[in-house]
Amino acid sequence: MRRTLAQSLALYATVIFTLVMILFPVYWLLVTALSTTDELYRLPPTFWPDNPQWDVFARVWAAKPILLWLWNSMLAAVGSVALSMLVSVSAGYALSRYSMRGGATMGLFVLTAKMLPATLLVIPLFSIFSSFGLIGSLWTLVLAHSTMIIPFATWMLKGYFDTIPKELEQAAMVDGCSPIGAMVRVVLPIATPGLAATALYAFVLSWADYAYARTFLVNSPDNWTANLGITTMQGEYVTYWNDIAAASVFIALPIIAIYLFLERYLVGGLTAGAEK
Amino acid sequence: MANISIRNVSKSYGALNVLRPFSLEIENGEFVVLVGPSGCGKSTMLKILAGLEPATEGQIFIGDREVTDLAPGDRDIAMVFQNYALYPHLTVRQNIGFGLKMRGTDKTEIDRRVDDAARILEVTPYLDRKPKDLSGGQRQRVALGRAIVRQPQAFLMDEPLSNLDAKLRVNMRAEIGALHKRIGVTTVYVTHDQVEAMTMADRVVIMQGGIIQQIAAPDELFNNPANLFVAGFIGSPGMNFLNSELRDGKLTAFGRQISLPRATNGQGPVVVGLRPEHLVLGDAPVTFGVKPTLVESLGSEKYVYFDAEGARIADGDEGKSKGLIARVSHTGSLPRDEEIRLGFDPDQLYLFDQKTGERL
Repeated sequence: MRRTLAQSLALYATVIFTLVMILFPVYWLLVTALSTTDELYRLPPTFWPDNPQWDVFARVWAAKPILLWLWNSMLAAVGSVALSMLVSVSAGYALSRYSMRGGATMGLFVLTAKMLPATLLVIPLFSIFSSFGLIGSLWTLVLAHSTMIIPFATWMLKGYFDTIPKELEQAAMVDGCSPIGAMVRVVLPIATPGLAATALYAFVLSWADYAYARTFLVNSPDNWTANLGITTMQGEYVTYWNDIAAASVFIALPIIAIYLFLERYLVGGLTAGAEK
Repeated sequence: MANISIRNVSKSYGALNVLRPFSLEIENGEFVVLVGPSGCGKSTMLKILAGLEPATEGQIFIGDREVTDLAPGDRDIAMVFQNYALYPHLTVRQNIGFGLKMRGTDKTEIDRRVDDAARILEVTPYLDRKPKDLSGGQRQRVALGRAIVRQPQAFLMDEPLSNLDAKLRVNMRAEIGALHKRIGVTTVYVTHDQVEAMTMADRVVIMQGGIIQQIAAPDELFNNPANLFVAGFIGSPGMNFLNSELRDGKLTAFGRQISLPRATNGQGPVVVGLRPEHLVLGDAPVTFGVKPTLVESLGSEKYVYFDAEGARIADGDEGKSKGLIARVSHTGSLPRDEEIRLGFDPDQLYLFDQKTGERL
């Protein structure tokens, strides 16, 4: 069916509007980083700096331990993804495949944990971690982030496993697999898009955290994550927003890289051809 | 290859009995079809046989070995699923070879046997494709290939043709029959389609409500149904049923007193069964006149629908809602609403107890 001119206009207008909504903050981050301090406070604002300060990136990189912060963020995120995927895959698979007394209720109960705001859990988690002597360690973030990720990830994965026909595992078992073997050799490879989407969700959630990092790590500068590190760049009297924006560009890059890496697995339709 | 012995196997979910004690001896190399309407327990029986569901009670032997509590992979059986259940992330070659790989078969041996199976099923050109690039018929062949490559003791097939279109289904039906003759593996085949059951089976097991109704060869089922259910299930169009009264070897049907030629026990209310193909146009030992309510022409023969007193609608048989049917050879035209004469031989009547449905 051919689109009319009006339909095309509406379509492109919607696409452009959405793109602007999504990309404007990114663009503004870049403009802020490249502007001089004077220009930042100018009214009306300039939409591209008169004299872009490209050296801001090198200056911030040299002045602050950006690499260390990124490394800490990466450790916390990878640890959180690994731990929460291990738990969520098992739990989501069990909820999808096995019926047990109270199973559905248990599944919903898991989800209520997600409904509690993170700030509500900060104090109990702090007291638990402190009694184990973990305060200041990156392990606190791995555990705390997992409590945020697992409930939702479990349901994401359950939903994905539900779309995979049970007969595939039954066929694998008749072919000689154990139940675990059928899951590992048949279900998980087919579930790759679901696993990739869930891992990406988990990574972003951990990477974006500030509240937990601030609470558990504030006195251990060696373990500061990127988000925590950047807030320390805010001065008591003067804040160099261009420096902060430049540092923010650095911490956005890994997320973009991860997305580009996982994107190829995010395509659906891998089960096509399993059934008639 | 082996014989299969199912001894008093039953299945219940709590208070719900889906399978009453089920016993069946299957000979080595035999092709047995379990047939019945949805929910009759046939697929449950197959899953229990495969080890995909535990039996509540009873024992299963394959060959001399008891397999009741063995995992599916340890029973040395192969299964073909209704939806094929091909592994979508593997190529056709890997799909067919998967079971051998799981059993630690040598790589060159796997290749040799996959090539053999692919040749038998004519899927060699597709060995490097993924299932999504195959047509329905090709997928069905790959699913069969996955079963035959293992050279198992028995094949279990769960409605393998029901996802194919009508023409392909007839072809594959013949191919599965030929394949069974060629490799001679004991096969248990589940279907709801009585035509598949009649055409493919050495023996048919008819089930309803988790209970075996009759176990017999196809012709025996057709000629000597054990009860009302079997009589109505086998045959197309289904058998006509009329309520009547049996007294001293005589009954009334189609407005005629009929003396039964064979000595028949019993008195009182009966169901009279008459197959549509046993009704003929024109004179016969018993003849009566009817006004057809509908005439369907199939070219060389016609289905004549008519109403009669005492006509009984068989349970769940939709064809019967149009009344009684005669299947007659006739190439001319039969106008509706004009009386025609139909006849039959009382020797071809079936009598059933009205209460129990058992054949008299």
